[in-house]
Amino acid sequence: MSRKIIHLITANRVWRSIFRYGYPDTEENRSKVIFQTFFLHIHPVKVKTHTLKPTYTFGLGVIAFYLFAVLTITGVLLMFFYVPSVQRAYTDIQALETAVPFGMLMRNVHRWGAHLMVLFVFLHMMRVFYTGGYKYPRELNWVIGVLLWVFTLLLSFTGYLLPWDQLSFWAITVGTNIAGAAPVIGEEARTLLLGAKEVGQDALLRFYVLHVMLLPLVATVFILIHFWRIRKDGGISSPAEQNLPVP
Amino acid sequence: MELVKGTSPMVDKGPEDTVTAWPHLLLMEILAVLGVTLLLLAMGIFINAPLRELANPDVTENPAKAPWYFLNLQEMLLHMHPSLAGVIVPGAIIVLLMMVPYLDRNKADIGIWFASPKGRRLALIALIYTPPILLGLIFFNEYVVVRSIISQPELIPSWLIPLGVIGFFTGALLFIFRSFKPTFREVLVGLFTAFVVTYFITTIVSTVFRGYGMHLTWPWELPPGALTF
Ligand code: HEM
Repeated sequence: MSRKIIHLITANRVWRSIFRYGYPDTEENRSKVIFQTFFLHIHPVKVKTHTLKPTYTFGLGVIAFYLFAVLTITGVLLMFFYVPSVQRAYTDIQALETAVPFGMLMRNVHRWGAHLMVLFVFLHMMRVFYTGGYKYPRELNWVIGVLLWVFTLLLSFTGYLLPWDQLSFWAITVGTNIAGAAPVIGEEARTLLLGAKEVGQDALLRFYVLHVMLLPLVATVFILIHFWRIRKDGGISSPAEQNLPVP
Repeated sequence: MELVKGTSPMVDKGPEDTVTAWPHLLLMEILAVLGVTLLLLAMGIFINAPLRELANPDVTENPAKAPWYFLNLQEMLLHMHPSLAGVIVPGAIIVLLMMVPYLDRNKADIGIWFASPKGRRLALIALIYTPPILLGLIFFNEYVVVRSIISQPELIPSWLIPLGVIGFFTGALLFIFRSFKPTFREVLVGLFTAFVVTYFITTIVSTVFRGYGMHLTWPWELPPGALTF
């Protein structure tokens, strides 16, 4: 019965035009599924068994990436209902929660997902540090990672202002005051970020543009380089590399 | 197997050390994704994101807190000069973290959690050493207050004492490490642990143990606007 259904679905030209290989239960089809599928070809066809030990990576990098993806999708959905103006921002959020189907859930998932991402990126950094995953030839990927950590914090911070309530207003006021404490250029840096001396319409617009355009683009590019480097560095680190010479 | 030229992690490794990414790796990834999806949906259904009154520049929040992940910086702000707490210390941490792989070039312990049993011990020492000192300093500056002992010249309470305290306790930790005759990597593991513990404790204290005027309180006595999640 189930065989018949599977045959019905897969033995036709449309299916075959999408998947140009059979069910991945042979060595050949298992490699084809990876390198002929756009979304999978980021993986190597074969991985070291050590990579798969759950207690080595704890899946933390994958989780960080998945959270980023969820945030991108829920974030785009939220953009349909939000205008970054001091007149509208707050009431838009109220309307989102009460009048938009699943609006509250959308906002909740975006918010808690952002907090979780901050947490999981840090845990991932701890994992890499404690297993020595930053060592040759992965130095640059570690540096890219540190930058990704900073971008994650900035993404979260710029989003925090957008609901335009007391919580966001004062959190951003305090947060940007911290940045304003930089020696010499502090005051200028703060004004550049806020577009004015105080948090107001200019700041809301700047934070919005940073949050929905600039920072996501920059983070995406760095995540792609991060993944590219993992492949070029021979996959995930493992004890098998211990005797390799370091140039 | 193709021929591999030069040094690659796969040299001298038989094919038996590898498995196909499908289904082995993909299955693990799907499990992680499903787990996070369930967690996020549960959180999204049961806990609502906060939305307080409309922003009002004329009504100052008390306490006025940054988002929780910057409260470690705001905690430091209570104890030292703003430039030091808000810019110099975090900047130095980022630069030091980036330098780590260029300083620690020995691959002898790659892929081993905490480098070695000795590394694990140094991490444990840092884990036990840091909290009492940190909490002691926080309590001291809350109930005794450095500035009530010496407030002039300004340089002393805002720069010299904090830098001196950081330097002294880091130095003391390194001194304890020395008796174990550790490798450079093992020292790094211990120091990184002290950083992580400091990072978490300052974040937690400032998030759930600081209320009106950023003074210490119990989590159940926090004023309504004090949780910046
Ligand atoms: C947006 C944030 C990030 C994403 C999506 C991400 C994703 C990943 C993924 C999927 C892996 C594969 C192995 C694993 O899951 O552990 C990985 C490895 C790695 N990551 Fe990240 N990462 C992020 C941030 C960071 C940070 C903050 C650091 C360090 C400061 C870092 C440094 C590294 C290094 C060095 C590796 C290779 C580790 C090894 O070979 O053992 N990454 N990353």
